[in-house]
Amino acid sequence: MAEIVRMPKLGLTMTEGTIVKWLKKEGEEVKQGEPLLEIQTDKVNLEEEAPASGILRKILAPEGSVVAVGQEIAIIGAETEPLPEIGKNTGVEVKQAGVEPERPAPAPPPSEKVKASPAAKRVAREYGIDLKSVTPTGPDGRVVERDVLEYIESRKVKATPVARKIAEEKGVDLSRIGKLEGERITKQDVLEALKLASVEPREEYRVIPWAGMRKIISDKMVKTKAQVPHFYLTLEVDMGKALELREKLAPKIQELNGVKLSINDILIKAAARALVEHPLVNSSAGEEGIVVKNRINIGLAVALDDGLIVPVIRDADKKGLVQISKETAELIKKAREGKLMPDDYLDGTFTISNLGMFDIEEFSAIINAPESAILAVGKIVKKPVVVEDEIVVRPMMKLTLSCDHRVIDGALGAKFLRRIKQLLEDPVEMLL
Amino acid sequence: MAEKLYIDALREGLREEMQRDESVFLLGEDIGIYGGAFGVTRGLIDEFGEERVIDTPISEQAIVGMAVGAALSGMRPIAEIMFFDFLTLAMDQLINQGAKIRYMFGGKAKVPMVVRAPMGSGTGAAAQHSQSFPGVFAHFPGLKVVIPSTPYDVKGLIKAAIRDDNPVVFAEHKLLYRVKGEVPDEDYVLPLGKADVKRKGRDITIVAGSIMVIRALEAAKELEKEGIDVEVIDPRTLKPLDMRTIIDSVKKTGRVLIVEDDPMSFGWGAEVAAGIAGSEAFDYLDAPVKRLAGLDIPIPYNPNLERHAVPQVENIVEAVRELLR
Repeated sequence: MAEIVRMPKLGLTMTEGTIVKWLKKEGEEVKQGEPLLEIQTDKVNLEEEAPASGILRKILAPEGSVVAVGQEIAIIGAETEPLPEIGKNTGVEVKQAGVEPERPAPAPPPSEKVKASPAAKRVAREYGIDLKSVTPTGPDGRVVERDVLEYIESRKVKATPVARKIAEEKGVDLSRIGKLEGERITKQDVLEALKLASVEPREEYRVIPWAGMRKIISDKMVKTKAQVPHFYLTLEVDMGKALELREKLAPKIQELNGVKLSINDILIKAAARALVEHPLVNSSAGEEGIVVKNRINIGLAVALDDGLIVPVIRDADKKGLVQISKETAELIKKAREGKLMPDDYLDGTFTISNLGMFDIEEFSAIINAPESAILAVGKIVKKPVVVEDEIVVRPMMKLTLSCDHRVIDGALGAKFLRRIKQLLEDPVEMLL
Repeated sequence: MAEKLYIDALREGLREEMQRDESVFLLGEDIGIYGGAFGVTRGLIDEFGEERVIDTPISEQAIVGMAVGAALSGMRPIAEIMFFDFLTLAMDQLINQGAKIRYMFGGKAKVPMVVRAPMGSGTGAAAQHSQSFPGVFAHFPGLKVVIPSTPYDVKGLIKAAIRDDNPVVFAEHKLLYRVKGEVPDEDYVLPLGKADVKRKGRDITIVAGSIMVIRALEAAKELEKEGIDVEVIDPRTLKPLDMRTIIDSVKKTGRVLIVEDDPMSFGWGAEVAAGIAGSEAFDYLDAPVKRLAGLDIPIPYNPNLERHAVPQVENIVEAVRELLR
């Protein structure tokens, strides 16, 4: 019996994945459990194992294509058996594909108001669907929720999201691209159609499609900045004692777990401690009220070549510097290699973003929703400061706290930030 | 749990509160030896005597006015009005006096009284003895309005009404007196302002009050055969009105039918409909809010016409089908 390989769901939020590489060719033999292909989700690259043994009969999604979760990507079967028909009774592709694309005909004139139920409008708004393209089946020719959902379902089956996106941008009519029954229109198909249709493209720029991690970051930041009322608090910390502490502890910690203690580790510890004392900062604005989190999971923003990811140190308040430094080192390594698993980056309750290593002295960060605050850390700069009426040179560092004003008021944010300052300037207390 | 009639559960509630609190007393026309026009107070005079079960002259204004005065001076009167229709005679005492005094005295005076009355059509009592208009009282600030639909509810709610420090209009539907249901023997009180989900369902919400709860549940049984899963919400009190429960239900089902015994125009169903339209449930509606209510006519004497004057089970079934078409 032929086995259909589908795009796996590798995380709670994953809706589609990119086929990075097929590790087997069509016609090659595969064994169950053997690596079959490499998939990139919005966060990570993962090797996916073959679900069955047999011959890799057909690759349905070429390298580079973006495929929805649950969609078929390959068929594994015996050498001689007939291939199953793809796209039928799969639960994903409901409408017959390849035939004339169903468009409600004739299309109403653009100015005409579409009768739709509020529920239908809400779903259409959520999915960015034009109600005019939906065939109404409700009373009095009204578009009801079910119609929109069916339309979304039917639209889903015919092209990959990237193909659809490119087609939209370039004005390619997807219905004009012929495809065998059951097969999806891919990015390649659209690009080929473009080549055929247009004259030599004289491009003065290139477009990187919103996809993968870039798309997640883009969507999330727009949403956060628009929906979360931010305010910012900045203060300066004398890092002299914290640096001394690091000097003292670093060799011992290195001996214990082979990892260098970083300023970030000390910051995580200080923030965790301050969060214990200010639980309201460790919360999020929920639909019904303020959701105060019982666990303190601190995220550390890690820059990647093509994006940004925030791995999470769980229960940071209950961990010592030895443990924190070990975990951060591991997570940063995994993040840079694109090997983070959802468990490594989900459920954060507070985030720290440090751009000191890029010589940034001060900046304000956008909150990592649904968290309520983020700490932006600048470079430690030696500068003259006044201590007891004397000008002395001290290593100073600027901290900027972005707060969600729905949850955190100025005074609370200020108290919390001042507490971090106190802990960093007298770090011994932090170790208690 | 024992099965009891609505009327017996109601009497049990009255009796228990009279036993519990000496300041509780009854007054009304023929409520003593005769036991009230429908028999609600039957036997209570033997137990509590003429001082606490007071037969009054035929003057609704005097009955309610006396109740207001007694309540102000520390008693907890329960006034029975023989037919809900006659409450119009006591409007000034109820609305201009009873409902406002606590406010006008800056909270220093309380008016802990209940006005009970049987309402509704279906008994051939003609135009002046068959009306339902509890919504009218819900319009006036200072009054609470209760429309219990089951024996269990009527006992728990009459006790809450008696213990409340504000005037409460307690509207009993005549056809409900003979309805049976489970009523626990122990003392229990149901909160005013909390709706009850009488039946859970996913396809459509019916918001029904008083006698219409019974009809909506029957309709739901009928519709179940067609695969339609109806949720029935009984607001139980019109004021305070528990919109939260209604909104949550509509968000779940996307469709709503409001069924009331009162005449349609300016009725409480409009209040519910507006509450839904103005809430976040609006975005979950998959059909316009629909209302079924009494016709805008005086209740006819002719039994066939009388039946047509207010929603029946088949009307509810048909309206649901229409909404789900």
